[in-house]
Amino acid sequence: MFERRFFLHVDWLLIGAVYLLCLIGVVMIFSTSPETPRPGAPRLYMTQIYAIVLGTLALFVCLRVDYRSLADRSHVIYIVLLLALVYVLFFGLVRGGGRRWIPLPWFNLQPSEFMKIGLALVLARLFGESRRRTPTGHELAIGGVLTAIPLVLIARQPDLGTAMTLVPILLGIAIVGGMRLKVAGILLALAIVATPVVWSYGLKDYQKGRVLTFLDPWRDPRGAGYQQIQAQITVGAGGLWGKGFRKGTQGQLSFLPVAHNDFIFSVLAEEHGFVGVLTVLGLYLFVVLRSLDTARLAKDRLGTVLVVGVMASFVFQVVYNVSMSAGLAPVKGLTLPLMSYGGSSVIATLAGIGLILNVRMRRFTN
Amino acid sequence: MITSPTDDRRRSALRLMVMSVGIMLAFVALSISFWYIQVVQNATYREMAENNHQRRLALRAPRGILFDREGRLLVENRDAFTISILREQTGDLDQTIRMLAAAAAVDEARIRDTVARHRSEARYRPIVVIDDATLDQVAAVLARRLDFELPGVVVQRVPTRRYPAAGLAAHLLGYVGEISEVQMSAEGLRTGSLVGQSGVEKAYNRMLMGTDGERRVMVNSVGREITTLDETPPSEGQRIKLTIDLDLQQAAEDAFRALGYSGAAAFLDPRTGEVLALVSLPAYDPNAFAAGIDRATWGRLNTDPLRPLQNRATQGRYSPGSTFKAVVATAALEEGVITPDFKVFCPGGATFYDRFFQCNVKGGHGVVDLRHAIERSCNVYFYTVGNMLGVDRIHKWAQILGLAGRTGIDLPNESESIVPSTAWKKAKTGEKWYAGETISVAIGQGQVSVTPIALAEMYAAVANGGVHYAPRLLKGINDGSGWRDVPGSEAAGTALKPGTIAALHDGLWLVVNGAGTGGRARIEGHDVAGKTGTAQVISLQGGKQAAGKTDMDLRDHGWFAFFAPRDHPEIAGVVLAEHGEHGSNAAPIARHVLDTYFAKKAGRPLPVFPTPAPAVVATAQAGPAPAVAAQPR
Repeated sequence: MFERRFFLHVDWLLIGAVYLLCLIGVVMIFSTSPETPRPGAPRLYMTQIYAIVLGTLALFVCLRVDYRSLADRSHVIYIVLLLALVYVLFFGLVRGGGRRWIPLPWFNLQPSEFMKIGLALVLARLFGESRRRTPTGHELAIGGVLTAIPLVLIARQPDLGTAMTLVPILLGIAIVGGMRLKVAGILLALAIVATPVVWSYGLKDYQKGRVLTFLDPWRDPRGAGYQQIQAQITVGAGGLWGKGFRKGTQGQLSFLPVAHNDFIFSVLAEEHGFVGVLTVLGLYLFVVLRSLDTARLAKDRLGTVLVVGVMASFVFQVVYNVSMSAGLAPVKGLTLPLMSYGGSSVIATLAGIGLILNVRMRRFTN
Repeated sequence: MITSPTDDRRRSALRLMVMSVGIMLAFVALSISFWYIQVVQNATYREMAENNHQRRLALRAPRGILFDREGRLLVENRDAFTISILREQTGDLDQTIRMLAAAAAVDEARIRDTVARHRSEARYRPIVVIDDATLDQVAAVLARRLDFELPGVVVQRVPTRRYPAAGLAAHLLGYVGEISEVQMSAEGLRTGSLVGQSGVEKAYNRMLMGTDGERRVMVNSVGREITTLDETPPSEGQRIKLTIDLDLQQAAEDAFRALGYSGAAAFLDPRTGEVLALVSLPAYDPNAFAAGIDRATWGRLNTDPLRPLQNRATQGRYSPGSTFKAVVATAALEEGVITPDFKVFCPGGATFYDRFFQCNVKGGHGVVDLRHAIERSCNVYFYTVGNMLGVDRIHKWAQILGLAGRTGIDLPNESESIVPSTAWKKAKTGEKWYAGETISVAIGQGQVSVTPIALAEMYAAVANGGVHYAPRLLKGINDGSGWRDVPGSEAAGTALKPGTIAALHDGLWLVVNGAGTGGRARIEGHDVAGKTGTAQVISLQGGKQAAGKTDMDLRDHGWFAFFAPRDHPEIAGVVLAEHGEHGSNAAPIARHVLDTYFAKKAGRPLPVFPTPAPAVVATAQAGPAPAVAAQPR
């Protein structure tokens, strides 16, 4: 019964595009790793492959269990992840200036990545199972609180980038869930009004410095502006066809920091040029549009908003990371989903894809 | 409010559609941005990426090696290590300088000075801060992991000049140094180039320099070299064979040192103008300049009252004294003013234009003809003949014999030798020439002022019978395809009348082999001919003579000009012993060199300069002047 439905209704095109992106990611990570690694150091692309395998398991689990029953238990998942975030805040592994990881035997778990899925589930349940046509202020307030708690916890790590990805989840679900556009407009107006206030009182000096440096990276080409300048050089040097696999000098010679991670797209742009960029952007766009199509086709509102919730953070990260990798956005520690090196990101993203497949597969069932 | 499921669906479908369109637009915007950066601005960014990871390192070409006429090594190259700072790669220049100074145990202020001096140069160009680093310094710097503690500090191996016989023929060979601003614009060379600053190193700099190579290397973000992209190897400069004979050069300098004289000497082959030896003492060690001279040594060399940096042979000017009488004799005979038999009675002095001029021997020489006037160096004879000639004819023949002006030797900054004429005085002072002045000129005093090399060329001309060749140091060139002789100097001067030649040669032969003052240069069987002379120091120094000068400083300079053998001269030249009192004290130096020359030619073992007689030692150092029977001028 399950097997037949699986083969009939599972979205093979989406799976194909997703794994193609994973594969390109692995290849690019391989490209940035040194030819002769230091003995004992893990080979990053192998770690990434293990993560993809684990992510596939997660995808399978998220596909197998009906999304409705997952949504029913979303509060449990949400609370467990909140506890994990609290735990990380006190006992987490510190690396690169952030306390973000729970060390596990094979890899270091980053609960914030999974929180995106957890939040999408719990918000989807809140807005998707509402009987009302438009969410009430009460519901919006609850949604806001549910978002704000993990957001603050993650921001405290500190990991402002990942924290910010939670906002699109709430917005996406609320809007598709029927929120009045007037309310959305008011929120937008509030945000604009709040900006100068936040600038004056909310941001620390180094954060202001980052924004200023973004606006003019040559203000500090050796310091804060360095990554942005180097990213732009890396991308620009790629040209139409790129320098070729493992031929990029910016990534290979580590002028570009964390090339395998946050700047994987810059490496792609350098080695495979504008053609490579278009190919990968096309694949991402396909994944996004196909998912939004799934949202449209979903059997119920829960399915629709769940898909939108998962996609919201995905799209946000893709657009932000790609902009950043060309120096078009301030440098933030945000991964490119599916391609960047990082076990938790890969596993959580694949799990989210599993949910989307789940919704599409069950669109005809009751 | 109860929703209608269809309305609800339609509304979310609409919002999803808007969302999709929005996302598509975002992707299109991103694509356009990438197209602009990657395709439109590609060239700019590509260049920036290359500047990021490519570094061009100059590979200094070894300068050409110098040999003497027999192929013996005069100047070669050794490997030295330089330590440079590449500002482009140093994060914190101040800290790098501090750590480098500590690691290499050098003065921090000196490094700072050097860096400050090159401040305006391109940041990717290494600034050499330690020129000739010791192996300890190199090891200390390398041990500090270039890319870690000392980013942007580069150790390079550079070929550096080595002068094996430190100080021998120093002025002739010259020295090298970093190119100056003026030279840079004049010669189109780049900053930091090593160029010859004096001597042959400067005269033939272009030939010797070779072509620097270049290595393009790929570096990573901390400046560590990853691979060499390509390399243009440097090509060594052309090898040069000089006309110098190392044995003669050594012999001359040995003799000077044994006698304790400063001075100059030039030995030429009169048949070609080839310089066999060229001495200027005191000298310096050109090795001190090879890898950049330190300020203390440079200062010492520049302020030394003995002026060791000056090449006395080509830049020092002295009055030729009695050696000049050969010019007057030639002029008189060639102009037909006298014959060799023309006789003058010398009572020990004579009056010209109401002024009494002394002869060099109080009692006088009696009746002398030209040959004996030369032999005995009789001033009265030459006063008389000079007076008959007039200054302009003396000047004319000095010029024909190559004594006036510059010889054109292939060394930089040669001084002009001056033999006055009426026109010269008019141009210089605006005054007319007084006939009385000619009397002093006739015995090589007064306004006559010549370089040793010019006097040597003149004696070569006399030896040759009037024809002479500009002194020349370059004998052969090897640009890698084998030795090739260079064309010789062109003949100058004019063939003198046989009678003139015979009289001159006889007289000069008698100076050495007869009753003359050059007896100390006599070599049995080789017919040395020559003439002594005295360059007055006191008259040169005029009023400022006495104060602060020792006896030594005020003593006259002694000349000995010569050629040998008399009938078919093969070698000619001059020796100037500063404060040597008299030319007879310069003669032993010439004799030793000539002796060496003839010993080599005959295949005899080379002579050793005899331990000087005590009287001479006393002369050379501090004692009273020796009693010399005749003291001709």
